[in-house]
Amino acid sequence: MASPLKKSPGVKDRHDDMFGNGRIESDINSSRNQLQEKVAEMENFAGHLEEIFLTVEENFGRREQHLEHHYTDVLQTISQRYDERAARLEDEKKRKLEALYTQLLACGHALDASKELIEEAKEVYRSQDKRVFLKTVVPTLKRIEEFAKEEMDLTLATNLDFETPLADLSDVKSMMDSINIVPAPSAPVINPQMANSATQTSLRVCWSLFSDDTVEFYELYYRLVLQNAPLDSTTAPQVRKAKVKETHCTVKELLPGAQYELWVTATNTTGISPASEKALYMTVPSPPVIKQRQCCSCPEAALIRWESGNPDPVDSYTVELTELKGSDGNEKGVTESVVAVPTCQCLIQLQAGHCYLISVRAVNIGGPSDRSKEICISTSGTFFYLLEETAHPCLSISEDGFTIFYGDEELPISAMALDDDNFTRCVAVLGDLIPVRARHYWEVEVDDRTEFRIGVAYEDTERNSYLGGNNTSWCMRHILTTSRHKYEFLHSGQSPDLRITVNPVRIGLALDYDWGTLSFFNVDLEQHLHTFQCQFQRYVQPCFGLDSPGALTIHNGIEAPKYAFIEHP
Amino acid sequence: MALTQVSSNKCAGGFQKVFEHDSVELKCKMKFAVFLPPKAETHKCPVLYWISGLTCTEQNFITKAGSQLAAADNGIMVVAPDTSPRGCGVEGEDDGWDLGTGAGFYVDATQEPWKSNYRMYSYVTRELPKLINDNFPADPERMSISGHSMGGHGALICALKNPGKYKAYDATVLASGYAGPPLDILLDQGRDDQFLSASQLLPDNLIAVCSEKKIPVVFRLQPGYDHSYFFIYSFINDHIKHHAKYLNA
Repeated sequence: MASPLKKSPGVKDRHDDMFGNGRIESDINSSRNQLQEKVAEMENFAGHLEEIFLTVEENFGRREQHLEHHYTDVLQTISQRYDERAARLEDEKKRKLEALYTQLLACGHALDASKELIEEAKEVYRSQDKRVFLKTVVPTLKRIEEFAKEEMDLTLATNLDFETPLADLSDVKSMMDSINIVPAPSAPVINPQMANSATQTSLRVCWSLFSDDTVEFYELYYRLVLQNAPLDSTTAPQVRKAKVKETHCTVKELLPGAQYELWVTATNTTGISPASEKALYMTVPSPPVIKQRQCCSCPEAALIRWESGNPDPVDSYTVELTELKGSDGNEKGVTESVVAVPTCQCLIQLQAGHCYLISVRAVNIGGPSDRSKEICISTSGTFFYLLEETAHPCLSISEDGFTIFYGDEELPISAMALDDDNFTRCVAVLGDLIPVRARHYWEVEVDDRTEFRIGVAYEDTERNSYLGGNNTSWCMRHILTTSRHKYEFLHSGQSPDLRITVNPVRIGLALDYDWGTLSFFNVDLEQHLHTFQCQFQRYVQPCFGLDSPGALTIHNGIEAPKYAFIEHP
Repeated sequence: MALTQVSSNKCAGGFQKVFEHDSVELKCKMKFAVFLPPKAETHKCPVLYWISGLTCTEQNFITKAGSQLAAADNGIMVVAPDTSPRGCGVEGEDDGWDLGTGAGFYVDATQEPWKSNYRMYSYVTRELPKLINDNFPADPERMSISGHSMGGHGALICALKNPGKYKAYDATVLASGYAGPPLDILLDQGRDDQFLSASQLLPDNLIAVCSEKKIPVVFRLQPGYDHSYFFIYSFINDHIKHHAKYLNA
């Protein structure tokens, strides 16, 4: 015996199944996320350490170089002095030697002359000729006498001692001294931003000095980083600075959710250190703004959409929900958070029949923003607004967003400026149903004469086609002829042939994804009208159309009546 | 009243049984079929009375309509009586297929020689329900009536003449002058039904009257379907669901 084609799980299982397996998965995911965060932290720390190491290496390298340079200078100077000194001594020696040599020569000459005279005298003495002797002896004696009268200068021409003036090594001394003078400080190392140390308008910046340098004060420079750098440098944000004695500083009066570039220098009596590497810090973002008309919900979940509220991208968003308890919903339950939401929307699992306050925070390295303005979600039923951008130009929508009108005035051609998204033939509009495979119920109120088309359609249903006329939409259609009311249930242009004796003015629509059914009811009579058996390939949207001037009103957020969905075993 | 079980077959998780008893109204032995869903083992169940068309017995519906699965799913007892008294020996009762045996029309006859035995209206609306309530786990507050062809007519007669007795109604015949608690009528008609084309069935009249009287009816014209049990089989699920909505509320 064959078993039924579709085996449905029990209601309880179905609910559990929808998110049940997900619980284990989400635990695994959150553990994995935590580990990933830790890994990222470690990587950041390792990076910072590397920076410190490099700076220290650089600093000591510089000092080493400085020292080497200094001592090289000193040695050079000394060697220079030595050379000078040696040269001078050499000169002196030369001079003295020359003087002595000259003297020696003179002595030599004198000796020679004396010798000559003596020889002559000897000659004269030895001369046999007395007459010649007498003739020459007197001048010779005169000459000898004169010669002997000459004082012999027997003093040395020069001093035998060398001059040894004190060497002027004062500049060497000052050079040596300067080695001991406190140098200008080395560059500090600015720390990366600590998580949650910022506010919307301030940053807490810390840095360190990895050397024994004396520092009198630090100067922290900072500048706003614009996402789109302006071409004109004159409009670039100016650099501001703060002077502090500590190795940290809280900078105020900043813009929220903005990135700032910061660097720091250290100063002492000798001078200013080179600047540290530039660090990028971010202030805490502004709170996001929830887009009320783009949020939708059903008994099991809500889809919240928001605007970032910040020009610069943030790291993630945190969604917070608080259940309202008590008979008048004034008691607040525990607040749960969904963290690390990457985009500006979040699908949250909720419980049926409750009321929740939901808000969003934007998060970046600076920390979480303040809470956005809250939205109240009630999970009594399925709730949605219309996708106004899909509306046919002749369709107007009430202020509250739930009544649509097809006026009989001619629209000016300019109003026909259309996006790809608008219906162009069928005067219709789509609803923004939450994409959750569950049961959804809503009602449509019309009057006896309204010619309507209501049902569901795929989001990408043909905009130039009529609802029900294609295979991407299913709808109930009311046609008013002069003689009677006609009702059709259209899909792919086909409808079953049926008659309805009491014209429904309030129609309930029940969509069941698991069973692939779309049912229509006369709510006032609790009468079932028709059920489509569909195989929905993907999510559908509610659709509403008017075939002639008239209006219809949508009621949603209603708990589905018991008869709307049949419990399956 | 003594009931004799004639047969019992396990079906759709429950039991399809046939019983026989001595009928007071009809003054003869009558058989009726009862389907007990699995729920009947532990709870009282609402009862759907199905009354069949011309020439049928208690067997046709239970063997050909395929209602047991839907009935089991929805926890509903289905009682299907015979269509007329049998073997009473009334003169002329076997002369034609549409009068006498197998053609009780669910009315109480007022003329001889029929009026002694041919009291199907009273049988269906009084004797049978009492029998069922006394002998089976039936919820006496929840019963509904449905039928095919002559039985459709019968269902409507029973419902209209007993406002508030039946929780859901189902008919293929004219309705008129009804003034009672709100009805919710589901009507299926095979488009290729030979009786429709022969104008023996006049659903348009019914629709017109109901539209005027604001009696809620959903009438479906099913293309390709005829008058047979194949037609009943194809749509019995929808009808049981329709009844279940009210019986299980």
